Amino acid sequence: MENVINENNVPAEEEVHYSTFRHAVGAVLAFFGFSSKTHRASKKRAKLVGDIVTYIVLLFGAFLMVYPFWWMIAGSFANTWDSSTADLFREMVWWPSVSTWNSEMPYGGIFYNYYKLFQDGFSGGIFNPAFSYWRAVGNNLIYSIVPVVVGVITSTMAAFSFAKINWFGRDKVFLFLLAAIMVPGPSIMAAQYVLYGTWNMRNALALVVPGLFGSIMTAFFIRQFLFGLPTSIIEAAKIDGAGYPRIFFGFILPLALPAIMAQGLLSFMGCWNNYMGSFIFIDPGSQWINLPHAMYIMNNAVDGNNTAPVIAASVMCVLPVIILFACFQKMIIGSLMLTGSKE
Amino acid sequence: MEENITVAQAAEAVAEAVIPEKKKRKPVNQQKLQDNIWGWAFCLPLIVGTVVFVYFALVIALLLSFTNYNVNSGGIWEYLGKMFSGDKSVFDMTAESAGGVIGKEYDPFYWYRFAFSEKAWFTSDWAKTQPIYNEVGEIIGFGRTSNAMWATMFNTVFYLIGIPIGMVLSVFFAVCMSRDIKGGSVFRVLYYLPCVASTIAIVYTFRIMFTDDGVFNQILGGKVIPWLGEGNPDWGGKDPYWTQGLLSKTMIVIMSVWKGLGGTIILYVAGLSGVNASTKEAAQIDGANGWTTFWKVTMPDLYPVIFYNVVTAVIGGMQIYAEPELFFGTNVAQGYPNLMTSGFVSLIWYHGTAKSPSAYPSQGAAYGMILAVIILILTLFQFWLDSRKKD
Repeated sequence: MENVINENNVPAEEEVHYSTFRHAVGAVLAFFGFSSKTHRASKKRAKLVGDIVTYIVLLFGAFLMVYPFWWMIAGSFANTWDSSTADLFREMVWWPSVSTWNSEMPYGGIFYNYYKLFQDGFSGGIFNPAFSYWRAVGNNLIYSIVPVVVGVITSTMAAFSFAKINWFGRDKVFLFLLAAIMVPGPSIMAAQYVLYGTWNMRNALALVVPGLFGSIMTAFFIRQFLFGLPTSIIEAAKIDGAGYPRIFFGFILPLALPAIMAQGLLSFMGCWNNYMGSFIFIDPGSQWINLPHAMYIMNNAVDGNNTAPVIAASVMCVLPVIILFACFQKMIIGSLMLTGSKE
Repeated sequence: MEENITVAQAAEAVAEAVIPEKKKRKPVNQQKLQDNIWGWAFCLPLIVGTVVFVYFALVIALLLSFTNYNVNSGGIWEYLGKMFSGDKSVFDMTAESAGGVIGKEYDPFYWYRFAFSEKAWFTSDWAKTQPIYNEVGEIIGFGRTSNAMWATMFNTVFYLIGIPIGMVLSVFFAVCMSRDIKGGSVFRVLYYLPCVASTIAIVYTFRIMFTDDGVFNQILGGKVIPWLGEGNPDWGGKDPYWTQGLLSKTMIVIMSVWKGLGGTIILYVAGLSGVNASTKEAAQIDGANGWTTFWKVTMPDLYPVIFYNVVTAVIGGMQIYAEPELFFGTNVAQGYPNLMTSGFVSLIWYHGTAKSPSAYPSQGAAYGMILAVIILILTLFQFWLDSRKKD
């Protein structure tokens, strides 16, 4: 009898009778959204738990991404002018233990670093005495607005011509231009240095003139965007007697504005942060160095431990770009996503 | 049915045959003329810019790399004119204008051999007269590496480690973000912040955060890792070159991964949104769990984006320059790029432009040509791997 019962019931019994411990574990697992042999978790619960874990992971990552920016802002209020407290600055985690809120600092209070930066941060030490922070910002604005605005328009013109006009040799010219992307910038750096010297361009012109002619990558992305526009608009305009210049300025520019804006903003950020160009082509003693280059020289000029003013300069260098990005983030990220889905 | 189609086709063919005849008069030619004129006109600025600032500069760089042109050699046009009129003095590495005897009288490939040959720094007579170069020769020497190109190339390749790390991390975060959660776009913006920030500001911040008492060591509980301690190489020691300064290089890898993560995450999020949802659902109905679905359905669809990312990241990574240069600066004592951390581009920058005592744009151009060939080979290799995978 016993044998028979065992033979018949062994599988069933093992499935039904789990130990209390395993029931408990299964219940706990089910609570957290995992199905086990004893309990089946609901799909809703599984999704909820997954979402919570995702949020924790993403928040942790976002913290890592944002923390250095917070550190930068907090550090710009540190007092490193007093050499005895300069070491405390490096140990800062959340907020400087000795900030510039100090009766010995006559001006600016907690903003003393910024006060010094705006007053004479860029004109001390080995620096050109006539140079000021505002000059650096002005130079940087010239370098990042003039070439970008003109360059984006010339790139759009080329993109329009590649996307919507049929002309002799178009595809060959396009390939010829696209091949230029393969040439690494640093490879031709020395030749550019020599050429710009010959053309008397080793000053502000070195950072402005090449950008005026547009960039191939910008033209490429805008061309992709223009392929999505209906050609019938152009045909209709042609029938109504509009020439290509009128079509371009009247239809293409307004219609492609989102793509143009996004590309323009991206290249503005690139130009604003361009350290290498100024470092190579512009003499450090000249009036025409841009903001990152001036920061580099300032960092070398400040004495040893007094690095908080450099951090204040860093904040002022990053802030405009971050504000711009915050205002236009939808446009920029949308454009980047478009790139990703096209590839 | 077939008859209907043929009738319709015939009608179309007739219509097509008729229309060109109508337009064959003036308007067609006029239109074509307009197309050609305005097509070229709209394109002209970009063509001129590319030809002058990229292709022309490339040709000049190639020509210069065979000569001994330096900052004292005078105008570039007369110099190139001499070269094309058959004057061999431009290849003369013993000329006074080149700063004395550095090579043989007719030696077009001097700079290329110079880049590859060992101990090139302090074997040439001219280099021996330069106190700076003597020091450099000594500090790199002692049988570890006596060649600046190999040293900087090792650094550059070491920084490429950041690419697979960044790729895994960004795919992970992208998968998290593309879950159906609220606030996904907020995270996208936050993660993209480091990409828009200026490199120099980031470097100056990280440089203080990584000091011995900095934030990173405080999290680990005191002065645990001397991140910056190895910034200045201990050349007198007995360690071989490649074991030195690994912590400093690792720090730069950490920073570049942090800075580049946002851009790749956005590309991957875009790629993930293009993954076929119905395929995914079918896999789930067939009983595949999340892990299997990810590897068998999502990853193959994501492959083109990953490939594009890796190719561009390798091209960009080979050109790393600003981060190490700003972090550790030029080696002030030697007036030379810090060979412990500098990327290969630092050599082009130092020799090609007026930063060295007597700049040789020729030498910089030769280094540049080597870099271009290396990048081309790496890119072709990746495309070859890609084509093999498809077969």
